[in-house]
Amino acid sequence: MTIGAYAIGAHRGFVYVRDEYPLAVKNMGIAIEQAREHGLLGENILNSGYNFDVKIVRGAGAFVCGEETALMASIEGRAGTPRSRPPYPAQKGLWGKPTDINNVKTWATVPQIISNGARWYSQIGTETSKGTMIFSLVGKIKNTGLVEVPMGIPLRDLIMNIGGGVPGRKKNLKAVQTGGPSGGCIPANLLDLPVDYEHLTEVGSIMGSGGMIVMDETTCMVDIARYFLDFLKDESCGKCTPCREGIRRMLDILIRITQGEGQMQDLDTLEQLGRVVQATSLCGLGQTAPNPLLSTLHYFRQEYETHIKDKFCPAGVCRSLFAYYIIPEKCPGCQLCLKACPQDAITGDKKVAHVIDEVKCLQCGECVKVCRMDAIVARPKSEAMDAQGAQGVKEVVA
Amino acid sequence: MITLTIDGQLVQAEEGQTILEVCRKNSIDIPTLCYHPVLEPFGACRLCTVEIVQGARAGLQTACTYPVVEGLEVSTSSPSVVEARRMILGLLLSRCPNVPVIQDLALEYGIKEPPFPTDHPEEDCILCGLCVRACHELVKAGAINFADRGVDRVIGPPFMEKTRDCIGCGACTIVCPTGAIRIVLEKEAVYLDKPLGPTSAIYVPSLQAVPRVPVIDTDTFIRFRQQDRTNGEISDACGACQMVCEAGAIDFTRQAETVELDVGTIVVATGFEMWDPTQLSQYSYGRSPNIITGLEFERLSNAAGITGGQIVLADGRKPERAAVIHCVGSRDHNAHEYCSRICCMYSLKQAHLVKDKTGAEVYEFYMDMRSFGKGYEEFYERIQEEGVTMVRGRGAEVNVLENGKLRVKGEDANLGRVVSVDVDMVVLSTAIQAPQDAGKVASLFGLSRSPDGFFAEAHPKLRPVETNTAGVFVAGACQSPRDIPDAVAMASATSAKVLGLFSADELEREPAVAVVSEQTCIGCMRCALVCPYGAIEQRDICTVDGQVCGHTAYVNPGVCQGCGTCEAVCLSNSVELQTFTDEQVYSEINALCAWE
Repeated sequence: MTIGAYAIGAHRGFVYVRDEYPLAVKNMGIAIEQAREHGLLGENILNSGYNFDVKIVRGAGAFVCGEETALMASIEGRAGTPRSRPPYPAQKGLWGKPTDINNVKTWATVPQIISNGARWYSQIGTETSKGTMIFSLVGKIKNTGLVEVPMGIPLRDLIMNIGGGVPGRKKNLKAVQTGGPSGGCIPANLLDLPVDYEHLTEVGSIMGSGGMIVMDETTCMVDIARYFLDFLKDESCGKCTPCREGIRRMLDILIRITQGEGQMQDLDTLEQLGRVVQATSLCGLGQTAPNPLLSTLHYFRQEYETHIKDKFCPAGVCRSLFAYYIIPEKCPGCQLCLKACPQDAITGDKKVAHVIDEVKCLQCGECVKVCRMDAIVARPKSEAMDAQGAQGVKEVVA
Repeated sequence: MITLTIDGQLVQAEEGQTILEVCRKNSIDIPTLCYHPVLEPFGACRLCTVEIVQGARAGLQTACTYPVVEGLEVSTSSPSVVEARRMILGLLLSRCPNVPVIQDLALEYGIKEPPFPTDHPEEDCILCGLCVRACHELVKAGAINFADRGVDRVIGPPFMEKTRDCIGCGACTIVCPTGAIRIVLEKEAVYLDKPLGPTSAIYVPSLQAVPRVPVIDTDTFIRFRQQDRTNGEISDACGACQMVCEAGAIDFTRQAETVELDVGTIVVATGFEMWDPTQLSQYSYGRSPNIITGLEFERLSNAAGITGGQIVLADGRKPERAAVIHCVGSRDHNAHEYCSRICCMYSLKQAHLVKDKTGAEVYEFYMDMRSFGKGYEEFYERIQEEGVTMVRGRGAEVNVLENGKLRVKGEDANLGRVVSVDVDMVVLSTAIQAPQDAGKVASLFGLSRSPDGFFAEAHPKLRPVETNTAGVFVAGACQSPRDIPDAVAMASATSAKVLGLFSADELEREPAVAVVSEQTCIGCMRCALVCPYGAIEQRDICTVDGQVCGHTAYVNPGVCQGCGTCEAVCLSNSVELQTFTDEQVYSEINALCAWE
C-alpha cells in the first residue's frame, strides 16, 4: 500500500476488515505496527520525506460492504449501501476525494511485481488474466484449504490433482461452485475449463472472492441455488428494487420447488427474473446474485424438472421430495443403520433385509452415512406412498 | 455541447447532464419513481432503465444516474428495456398492490395483477428514499433514514420513535410518490383541520392577480424555519424552488427595505380586518371545523382554493344542511354596535352558492335585511325564490352535537318563538372592524378616528374624503364599512380630489395659518413638538458667507391648519396666526369691552 500510495501521491490509507474476523484485525494491527517500526509507514518513510499512514477500519459485517462504494460509505460512517458509478472512486471516492481501492490480494502482488518486474509477472497466467489467483477449496474434496495457482489452470488440475478429487466410494463430482455466494455452478462436464476471468464469465460464473465449493452427487442443485439466494436475500442492502424484491421472489419460488409445489412455468419466471435482476441491479451484489440460480438452471434443468414433475429430489436433499428406501437385494442385514437411526424407524432382524418406516423417518441421512453396501437410496415419495398404500390395503384385508 | 443518439434521433445535450435530463428536455418519456429534479439521483427504483447500445458499458443502465457522453447511443424502448421495466413494475406491484401510481404504471406495461403473491396488501412504501433524501439534503433535519437491510429495510425516525429532529415541514410527504407518509398532528386542533389556508410555503395569493406572482410565506418556508430554529447555524436548507426556477427569480438574500419618497398627497386606504368570532363563545367558533366565517367560506368556494371550489365539510362530505348567521359581532352591544353593511348581501350570495353547488337546505338567520344597493333587493327576492329559508331573528347560539352536527338556535321574530335547526355547516357573517394597528396609522398621519375605530373624515357631508391633515385623504373601508361599489366610488372621489390639488400650479390654502417671526424666534422648537399636523420644521439661519449661525422655526403654510397651538406655547411670542394676530384679538376684546 505504501508503494501504491507513493505512486498516486496519497497520504492516508484504510484497511477494511470485518469485525467478525478478530484474528485478522489483530494480525493486521501487528503488521501495521511492525511496518511503522521499520519506517515503512508514518512520517518521513525511509527518509524520503514522504508521509503515509494506514488505519484499520472494522466493518460491522455486511456482505454488501465488499462492494467498493458501499465499503467507502461504511468507512465514512454511513450505512453500507452502494451508489451508482460513475463517478468512480478514482474520480470521487472517500469523502468525495479521489480514491484507489483494491483487494488485499492485489496489494500483495505489488512488491512481487516491483522486485521481479512486470514481464516476470505477466509470464504467469494467460494473455488476458495475468498472474495468480488464490482459491479456497472446500466442499466434497480431499484436500481442503487455500491454494495459489496461476491463472488459466484447467479446473480438472485444480480439483483432481491439487484437491485430490472427491472423497468417498464411488462418489462422482457433480459441479464446482466458484466465486462465493453469488458465483455460479460449473458442471462436471466442463472440468477442462481454464480458470480465468473470461472463461468463468463465459460459463456463467465469476472469479469473485476465489471461493471454490466442490459438490458431489449428494448435492441438490435446486437446494444449492435456494441456499445461496437465502444468504443473499439477507445480505442485499435493499436499496434497489430488482435486488431487494427480485432475490426474495426467486427464493420464494425455489422454496416452493424444493417443497414439491413448483410448476413448470416457474422455471421461465425464474429465468426471466434472474435475467432482469442481473441486468438492472445497482451494484455487483445484485448483478451477480442470480448466478447460482441461472447457472444451475442452465446446466441442471433436468434436476429442476424432476423436482417439479416427479416431485423427487434425486440427490436426497429436499426432504419433502424423497423417501429413503433400502434395496432388499443389497441389504445384508448388518443392523448398522438400525443402530444409527435416531428415530428407530428402521426395523429388521439380523441377516434379513431391513425396512424403513416412512412415517417415522426424518430423512436425516444417518443411515446412508453408515451403510457400507450403498443399499439405502432416495426414491420419490409417491413410490413410497404406493408401497405403503398397498401395505395398508393388505392390513385391512388381513 | 454533446451530441448523442436517443432512439435513433440525434440530440444535443450539455456536459454533465444525465440521460434522463436530456430525455425530459426532449419530451422522451421515461418513467421514474425515485427521481426528483432537486435531489441527487439515487438509482434505487431502476424504473428509468434504458439500454446503452454500444461501448464499454453497453447494456441496461439507469437514465437518472448515467451522464451523457459524446456519441452515446441510447434506446429507451428496446425489448430488453421493456422486459426489465415490466419485471420491475411487477415486483413493485407485488410489494404495493394497492398504490394507484404503481397500478397505473404497471398497466402501461400490460400488468393488470401482481405477478407474485402479495403478503402485505396494505404496504405503500417502495423504499425509493425520496423522503430520506429530502429530509437530509434539503431540509437538513435528518429526522428519518433507512433501517435494516434487504427485505427488512424500512424507513423511519431513529428506533421508530417520535423524534424532536422532525420539524414537521412535510417535505417528505410532498416528494413521496406513493403517498405513504402522512403528517400527524400532535394535538387535536380544529383550526389546522380546516383545509382553508395556503398549503405550501409558496403560493399565488390570488389567481386573478396581474402579474400572477407567487409569494413566499416566511413562517412556513423551510429555509427560514431552519434558520430560526438553529439560530442561523443551518442557513442553506431547502431552496428547492431556487433550483427549479429557470428564470432565476428567487433570491433568499433580499431584505425588506424602507423606501423614502417625497410626495404631495397621501391617500390612506388601509382597509379593514375581520372581527374574531371566538370573542362571542355562543357561536362555538373553533369547536368544530364546520363552523366557518364568511371569509373562510369564500376561500372554500374559490375555484383557486384548496378544494377547487367544492363546498365540502372538513371530512370531505357535501353538506346536506347549512345555516348562515348574520350580524355576528355587528349590531351587538357585546361586540360592535355598528352595522358592517356588507354582510347581508354576501350572506345571500353564499346562500345561493351553497344551494347551487351542493343542493343543501340553507337557513339564513337575519335581524333585518339591508339590501340597499342597486339591484340588491331584486337579488334578495331571487334568493327567497330559490328556496332559502329566511329566519327573521338573530342566530343566538350554535352547539356542536356529539354526532358532529351543529344545532343553531334563534328566535323567529315573525313566528314569535324560539326555533332550532340541526345543520352540517354554519357560516358566520362576522363583523368587519378597523385594523388593530389603525391607531398607529392614525398618529403617523395625524388622523382622527371616530368612536367605532375607523378613520374620521374632515366633514361627513361636505368633506367626506379629506381628513383634517392637509394633503392626507382616506378611501375605502378604512373610513367606514363599505362594500365594493361604495369603496370604488369613494376611491374615485378621492382621486378626483387629489388630482384637483395637482391641477393648479400653486396650492390655494385658507389664509388662517401661523407665521414665525424670524427676528424674535429663538429656535427652541417647542412649537414643532406640539404641532398636531407636523407643519413646523427647523430652518438654519446663515451669515452672508454661508455659515450657519442659528436656527429658527418655520411653518409650512401648505400643511398648517391654523389651530393656533404653536402660538400658545411660544415663549418669545414669535408665532402669530394670520387673521388672528394678538393685536386683532385684543382689538376685538377691546371693542367688546367698549360696547359694554
